[in-house]
Amino acid sequence: MLDDIKALKQQIANYNIADDEDLESFRLKFLSRNGEVPAMFSRMSEVPNDQKAQVGRAMNEVKNLAKDTFETNKKKLARKEAQQIGAKDDLSLPAPPYSAGSYHPLTQTLEEMKNIFYRLGFSIADGPEVEDDFHNFTALNFPPNHPARDEQDTFFIRKDDDPNIDDLVLRTHTSPVQIRLMQEKEPPIRTIMPGRVYRNEAVSPKSYFLFHQVEALYIDTDVSVAELKETLISFAKLMFGSDVKYRLRPGFFPFTEPSLEMDIWWEPAHEKEGKWLEILGSGMVDPNVLKAVGIDPEKYTGFAWGMGVERIAMRRHQIDDIRTFYENDVRFLEQFH
Amino acid sequence: MKISYNWLTEFIELDLSPEETAEKLTLIGLEVDSIASYGNKLEGVVVGHVLEVTDHPNADRLRICKVDTGTEEVQIICGADNVAADQKVPVATVGTTLPVETENGEPFTIRKAKLRGEESRGMICAEDELGIGDDLSGIMVLDNKLETGQPLQQALDLYQDIIIDIEITPNRPDATCHLGVARDLAAALDLELKKPFKTEFDTTEPLQEIGISIEAEEKCARYVGKLVKDITIEESPDWIQNRLKTIGVRPVNNVVDITNYVMFELGQPLHAFDAETIQGNQIIIKDFDEEITFETLDHIERDCSPGTLFICDGKEPIAIAGVMGGVDSEVGEKTTNVLIESAYFDPATIRKTAKEQVLQTDASYRFERGIDPQLQRIAAERTAELIAEVCGGTMVEGCTDVHPVKTEPRQLDLRKSYVNRLLGTEFSTEEIADLLDGLELKLIEQDEDKLKYQIPTFRPDLEREVDLIEEVGRLYDYNNIPAPKHGKFTSPEPITDWENLLSKARETAKGLRFREIYSNSLMPEKDAQLLGKTEEMTHTLNPISNDMTTLRPSLLYGFLKSVGYNFNRKVQQVRFFEIGNVFEKTSADGTYHSGIDEQTNILFGLAGFKTIEHWKTEPQHYDAFDLKAAVESFLAQLNIGEQITSRVDKNNVLSYFIADQKIGQLRNVSQEMLAEYEIELPAVVGEFSLTKIFEAKQQLQEPRYEPVSKFPSFEFDFAVIVGQSVKAGDLLQSIKKTAGPTLKDLQVFDVFEGESLGEQKKSLAFRLSFLDKNKTLTINDVEPIINKVVDVLEKQYSAKLRS
Repeated sequence: MLDDIKALKQQIANYNIADDEDLESFRLKFLSRNGEVPAMFSRMSEVPNDQKAQVGRAMNEVKNLAKDTFETNKKKLARKEAQQIGAKDDLSLPAPPYSAGSYHPLTQTLEEMKNIFYRLGFSIADGPEVEDDFHNFTALNFPPNHPARDEQDTFFIRKDDDPNIDDLVLRTHTSPVQIRLMQEKEPPIRTIMPGRVYRNEAVSPKSYFLFHQVEALYIDTDVSVAELKETLISFAKLMFGSDVKYRLRPGFFPFTEPSLEMDIWWEPAHEKEGKWLEILGSGMVDPNVLKAVGIDPEKYTGFAWGMGVERIAMRRHQIDDIRTFYENDVRFLEQFH
Repeated sequence: MKISYNWLTEFIELDLSPEETAEKLTLIGLEVDSIASYGNKLEGVVVGHVLEVTDHPNADRLRICKVDTGTEEVQIICGADNVAADQKVPVATVGTTLPVETENGEPFTIRKAKLRGEESRGMICAEDELGIGDDLSGIMVLDNKLETGQPLQQALDLYQDIIIDIEITPNRPDATCHLGVARDLAAALDLELKKPFKTEFDTTEPLQEIGISIEAEEKCARYVGKLVKDITIEESPDWIQNRLKTIGVRPVNNVVDITNYVMFELGQPLHAFDAETIQGNQIIIKDFDEEITFETLDHIERDCSPGTLFICDGKEPIAIAGVMGGVDSEVGEKTTNVLIESAYFDPATIRKTAKEQVLQTDASYRFERGIDPQLQRIAAERTAELIAEVCGGTMVEGCTDVHPVKTEPRQLDLRKSYVNRLLGTEFSTEEIADLLDGLELKLIEQDEDKLKYQIPTFRPDLEREVDLIEEVGRLYDYNNIPAPKHGKFTSPEPITDWENLLSKARETAKGLRFREIYSNSLMPEKDAQLLGKTEEMTHTLNPISNDMTTLRPSLLYGFLKSVGYNFNRKVQQVRFFEIGNVFEKTSADGTYHSGIDEQTNILFGLAGFKTIEHWKTEPQHYDAFDLKAAVESFLAQLNIGEQITSRVDKNNVLSYFIADQKIGQLRNVSQEMLAEYEIELPAVVGEFSLTKIFEAKQQLQEPRYEPVSKFPSFEFDFAVIVGQSVKAGDLLQSIKKTAGPTLKDLQVFDVFEGESLGEQKKSLAFRLSFLDKNKTLTINDVEPIINKVVDVLEKQYSAKLRS
């Protein structure tokens, strides 16, 4: 009896299962109701009582082997089947288009500028695009009928014959936000003011009638040109790299005195020669401006500076036509992530 | 303004090259736009000596010339009849590029050539080929005394100059002339400033021949008249023409050229009247209460509003003061006597007239910036002297100087402490005085702490102490100001809630896969009509064009315009967002200014294909629910999802509210609008006011953490049949309200309409998920709630439970 069991065990161990058909034959031969394993157990009655325990163990061993062999091979075959790669399993097929969202290139440049200013300890403020003459000009030391007003061609929204009613304009710069801020808050003030501004100018690749500015304002006791200079240089280094070549030169803005402009040396990739490129205007806040908002110029000094976002974005990305920013061509926008 | 380098050297001895001069000018605040050379250098063109002329064997009209160019003897084929042996001629050697173009418009470069079999190395030139004359009759024959081989430019002493184009800022009227620019350079470079004209005069009697009076003294502070007689009008001599041509001024005749010359030299605009045309022998400077029609030199009849300042003779106006003269008193060929006008007009008056007439002349440009009120006599005398000298006339004894309003030079204190506080420097008063030396400021007092200056009248911009500090800064050169030893500690302030909301909105929109656009905030009025009533919108009074009249009341226009732009270029999958300000008129106070409501909006828009034809997807258009899902996710991420309610109106526009405040809406773009922008596929937009969302959020608490329930949820489905007019949103709201706090989620999993339900009926199937923090819910807990809900729906909407 034990020999028969041993032979069966051998037979199971040597059974060759190559495919589903073999697996089914194996099951029928050994494990089905009429299979050899149940047949073996039916012979238990022939076994003398004193050997029953030993033979039973041997039989169970064989049964477990048959079951394990079946299960193992079944899994093996299933795995083999799963490895079959169908036409639609081919991962080299293209996935359907799935475009991510994106920021406009002007947002990207502006965000970079904001982050630099945040590092330099500036907060942020904003104001309206429709502004009155007081905030846009008069408080900023643009006297009525002064040629300085010509430098900023203005869109008018409302003009009234009554001299007590202020003209409304589309702001020509973000500087009116400086006025609003200084009216609201006591120094120290250390804030930037980004926003959209308008100039009534003919449209060309270099100029558009609306664009974006960022202005910075710092008012405190004993703020000097030396500090302005340090801040400008820090900004230039953080924005354009620590090896940026720059120069400062006198400029003119009605709301700052002295006024300075900063140029950086620019070597466009496809041009032979580098050139100085004006990137920002700045200066010490004019005492008349401080007086207009009730800040004592003998106690406080401060600096202000401003620059165009488009101009910097155009240089960064070598964009040669400012109008591209406002066409919103997807093929343009998708190049900026 | 164009400045001639040669002209500058009449005032200062410059040992800087033109490039270095330009750099220096920029660094002291006279920003140089460009530098260019004037006149042709004629490099490669030399004086040649014709040694021998023989006939060309193969061409009747050509000659073979042997020419000595100083360095070698060359053979040149020449076609001119007038070439002859022993002439000195201009020779363009091989490689020279002449200042003329070939017939093909290319630069004319001399190359080695063979003409009908004979070699030619160079070219004997005519005047026009060298750009130095109009004589086309043959080659240019030079003075035999000229040295062979000498560069022609040197030999003929051809005029050369450098044009430096400077951008003059409005605060620097003193720099609108060569003397002024030279003065700044002299101060910066520590040079002596020469003044090659008279500045001191004996007092003289007024002119006998012509009486001058000023009636509008507040508009004309000074008027100087000077008379020159018996002149001959002709072309100016070369030295005047060259100066003017260099700076881009077209020569007219000797008198006009001299008035221009002195203006560009000293900065004083001058006018010359033909004295014979002055009626009644008198000049009156006055304005009128009525509108005056006047014909200016440019032959334009101009309507001048009341208050315009005129120069009049005994009978009528003869010039618009400070802007342009009249045709009748113009100096012409037959003029023999001229009256020279040298005046100071009020800047604002001239500016107003120039603006009104849209006529900015070299004169008005200077007057409106404010010229030196002490320059009139000097300039008049200078002009008269030059005219007498150049035009062969005689200066009439006497000079009328009517000077009703005198300008006294200002005095300013300059504190050392303020200089150093503002600039961050450590100057002594001596150092400050040293820097300012050369600007012709008169130092009146000086001690250790303070300087006192008398300011020359040509610097109206130096009004205050701070203006003098700017002079110190620019002459010292800002680049030389030392860095502070250590930065000040500044206590930073938090980023504002508003800025945080904007950033969060922008980030969220990008995260929801929208692409940001920037669109125009000005739009055509006809397009604005599609968006609402244009009377309620804001318009510019002076639009650039009809396309940009109206301030956008919504971001929709920019979106549709951008979609149209892309669709036209075959890009038909559009997922845009924009954040920008919108404007409307309001009867209320307005956001910042009365009458104008300015808000910041965010727009989300989808257009065209959501999916394309692809092995994995079928082509499918975006629909409103694609946008609704995104927009509601956006609102949830701004932490206002719980507070939002929405309502749909009869046009199927879905409006969103926080409390009772409408914050935005979502809708399909109408067929009419799609057609207007040539968008052939559906588009859907949602627009929200971030300003209103911000206001609402300010009222809300920061969301608090809620522990997640440990118990499973219980789901229950049911369907009801209702009339078509019943809105799903209303049903959902009733269900939520009735079911109470254990209802955690509510979905519509089926919408069905069909004949089997009856006419104008639809069925909606709801799945309700209930959850309790403290226990596992069973049907016994949920059933009473469901019964109540169904009851309410039956009562309120005549809903029938579908079995």
